[in-house]
Amino acid sequence: MGKRTDAEMPENPLEPYIESIRQQLEEQDPVLLVGVIVALAVVVITCVFLKYFLTSKTVRSAVLLVGLCDAGKTLLFIRLLSGKFKRTQTSITDSSAPYKAKNDRGSTWTLIDLPGHDSLRSQYLEKFKSAARAIVFVVDSAIFQKEVRDVAEFLYMLLTDTVVCRNAPTLLVACNKQDITMAKSAKLIQQQLEKELNTLRVTRSAVLSAQDGSVGGSVYLGKKGKDFEFSQLPMKVEFLECSARGSKGDDGVADVESLEKSLAKL
Amino acid sequence: MLDFFTIFSKGGIVLWCFQGAGVTESFTGPVNALIRSVILQERGGNNSFTHEALSMKYKLDNEFELIFVVGFQKILTLTYVDKFIDDVQLHFRDRYKNELEQKGALKHVNNSFDFEDRFKKLLREAEESSKARSPPPMRSFEKSEKSQKTVKSMIETKGGDKAKEQGGKKNKHTKKEAPAVEPAKGDQGKTPPSGQKAVVNGNQGLTPEEIIQKNREDFFRKRMMGPAEKPIKSPKPQKPKEKQNRVWNNGGSSAKNLDYSNKNGEASPGDGERNLDGRFDPDMQVSSMKGDLLSVDYESSEEGEMEEEEEEEVVVSETSKTSPKKSGGFGGMFGMLKGLVGSKSLSREDMEPVLEKMKDHLIAKNVAADISSQLCESVAKKLEGKVMGTFTTVASTVKQALQDSLVQILQPKRRVDILRDVMEAQSQRRPFVVTFCGVNGVGKSTNLAKISYWLIENGFSVLIAACDTFRAGAVEQLRTHQRRLNSLHPPEKHGGRPVIQLYEKGYGKDAAGIAMEAIAYARNQAFDVVLVDTAGRMQDNAPLMTALAKLIAVNMPDLVLFVGEALVGNEAVDQLVKFNQALADHSMSDKPRLIDGIVLTKFDTIDDKVGAAISMTYITGQPIVFVGTGQTYNDLRSLNARAVVGALMKA
Repeated sequence: MGKRTDAEMPENPLEPYIESIRQQLEEQDPVLLVGVIVALAVVVITCVFLKYFLTSKTVRSAVLLVGLCDAGKTLLFIRLLSGKFKRTQTSITDSSAPYKAKNDRGSTWTLIDLPGHDSLRSQYLEKFKSAARAIVFVVDSAIFQKEVRDVAEFLYMLLTDTVVCRNAPTLLVACNKQDITMAKSAKLIQQQLEKELNTLRVTRSAVLSAQDGSVGGSVYLGKKGKDFEFSQLPMKVEFLECSARGSKGDDGVADVESLEKSLAKL
Repeated sequence: MLDFFTIFSKGGIVLWCFQGAGVTESFTGPVNALIRSVILQERGGNNSFTHEALSMKYKLDNEFELIFVVGFQKILTLTYVDKFIDDVQLHFRDRYKNELEQKGALKHVNNSFDFEDRFKKLLREAEESSKARSPPPMRSFEKSEKSQKTVKSMIETKGGDKAKEQGGKKNKHTKKEAPAVEPAKGDQGKTPPSGQKAVVNGNQGLTPEEIIQKNREDFFRKRMMGPAEKPIKSPKPQKPKEKQNRVWNNGGSSAKNLDYSNKNGEASPGDGERNLDGRFDPDMQVSSMKGDLLSVDYESSEEGEMEEEEEEEVVVSETSKTSPKKSGGFGGMFGMLKGLVGSKSLSREDMEPVLEKMKDHLIAKNVAADISSQLCESVAKKLEGKVMGTFTTVASTVKQALQDSLVQILQPKRRVDILRDVMEAQSQRRPFVVTFCGVNGVGKSTNLAKISYWLIENGFSVLIAACDTFRAGAVEQLRTHQRRLNSLHPPEKHGGRPVIQLYEKGYGKDAAGIAMEAIAYARNQAFDVVLVDTAGRMQDNAPLMTALAKLIAVNMPDLVLFVGEALVGNEAVDQLVKFNQALADHSMSDKPRLIDGIVLTKFDTIDDKVGAAISMTYITGQPIVFVGTGQTYNDLRSLNARAVVGALMKA
């Protein structure tokens, strides 16, 4: 107590002022008080907003799993995270989880599984493409022959996107479902995709302009005057084989080491 | 009884599933079909779906982002399913609340949801309850309510109805009139029945009409019947004449009369009967008019108020929270902040006014009425129970969800790249055949010409088959287009052969035959594309629709395009449904050719009323391949889903 009185002593000359201020405050309208409080609240809200905007500007640390419907993205997502097998259905929204890469640095990426359905994929890609550090493009190798045009179209859309082109995230083409006997090899898939993308370059550049005048795909894929090859792209492209289901059925382990290795190198 | 029950996250990870005894087929296929054709197509209004022999019902849990699906054979009519699915949802949520509240998708991956025992118990209960509830036996007459009724009770009910009506009307009256009722009642309490009789007598003297007399007698008899009716009748005695007149003239508006009488009673509470009577005749007319207008006014003003409230709710989600704020004090302000910052799960009631407004907005933008209500219903299903984020209002959440849904609808569900498909056909050495169909005057031939121009520009040769053998001048119109296009792209530049030719056989011939010949001709002459122009037909014209179905069934075109004008509103639904129906009905194969795509014409004439685009894609689920935006050959565009949705959501 003694200490406190000591501390108050030097403030003594100020006391009348404080007293008068307090009196003035009491004389004032409560409206003014409310005004002061509102001002304080505005400051607090501004701080919150600032934090909001600053945090939204994050480093690109997301690994996107994209691909057509039924390519096995969700199962791959589960396998990468926990190694377990789960049944899956068509996703109607994205799911994300932190993924610890299997390297010495122990770096952690956010693994995001995007829905593959035609009417959803562009919307979700729009949402996450700017955060992508790497894109895992999952292809169903078993029915690739049937879907080659759809796969190529999606890949074309992805590769000619301005944001993707600027950021140039690593592209991993995961040729999934290698456990099925009829599955195509990664090499064959790469060749077919190159051929198909070459054709698409022609047809897509002739596509009608949209109503608002914007022409689809302002980015030219690959080098002009040459047949398209993945090596011409600004980003690193890697083709690898994997099997999210695994060759030993539902209870067996997945065959995704090659993908894990590539993810570790990011 | 159930084939399967599955619980999975919206991200597609199955958390727990149950398969009925003896069911070997996987449920993955049917459930995927459900997701793709119901949930992703925004057809969420009704929650059941039939896929082959299975019937499925689903429920969305938007708070935890879960989907519950139950499937059973469609021949079974299981009445308990709806309740059962709700019960399971409730129990599942209760049991795994903690797990489900974790962030990220890891919770779905790492937690094991062992729901078996609880589920079995619930299922057993549900099945037993459905068995126990056997159809109720028919009631005998003695048990029925009707047997209790006597003629007297019937009359009483009439009076009761009146009382109710009166009560309802009274509630609607303003404060000004409300006190008026009270003094009247007070008067009644004091004045003995003799006073009423006097009034009646006065009436008799003034108006000796028999009808009114009879009426009055009725009135008296009723009044004697029960004291319960007294308060109702109380205002009447003061102005019996008025009341009687109203009853007969306007039938059913008797309650209003009572109110006028109250008014009069207030104006001259102590006046003598003669005085009242003397004023009655002119007063009655005036007040009756006033009354009628008033009631309408009230309703409309009430509606107006409600609308205002709605708008308030739209602007600020927490009306209830703003009102205490106005009354002053910090509690209110904190409440507002809490409402703004804190998370809150959406309920149906919160969304109702916003959805209603959105629906009207969509209709104003020319979206067909039932489609806009279906869309809003679906959005409501998608949002119900969802936890709103920080700094969001109900209005903005609903608007955002609707916008996403609209983009989703307009986004093509399959690859649309005609040039690629033409190249594919080229490599197979066959022509790519496109058939145009639609109602009269929507611009089939004009847009066919535009599309030919686009194809020619991209280096393909085009054959037009003039299968409109009905309308005078149709063939000549196509010939003119062909000449103009040929002059724009002279044969000399294309290796000496014309890039576009017309295949025509005059008028009155069978269209399907001409189309077939044209395709054969194109195959021989190595044309890349055949564009088949058909006659415009109204969707209700059965013979013509049959002819169109035949043309399509016989020639198997690669693409069937429906040409529809953007000006169309509710009619779009009817047109497309009937065209699709006709194609399905008249094709003899199991997998009929339906409409594959839509050409939306006259898009330049509609400003921002772009609703037809939504209506058409919603009904068919097919993409809008081309958009016609003007008169010249260049005015052909592809659809930009975001631009259309932007125009649609613009206030």
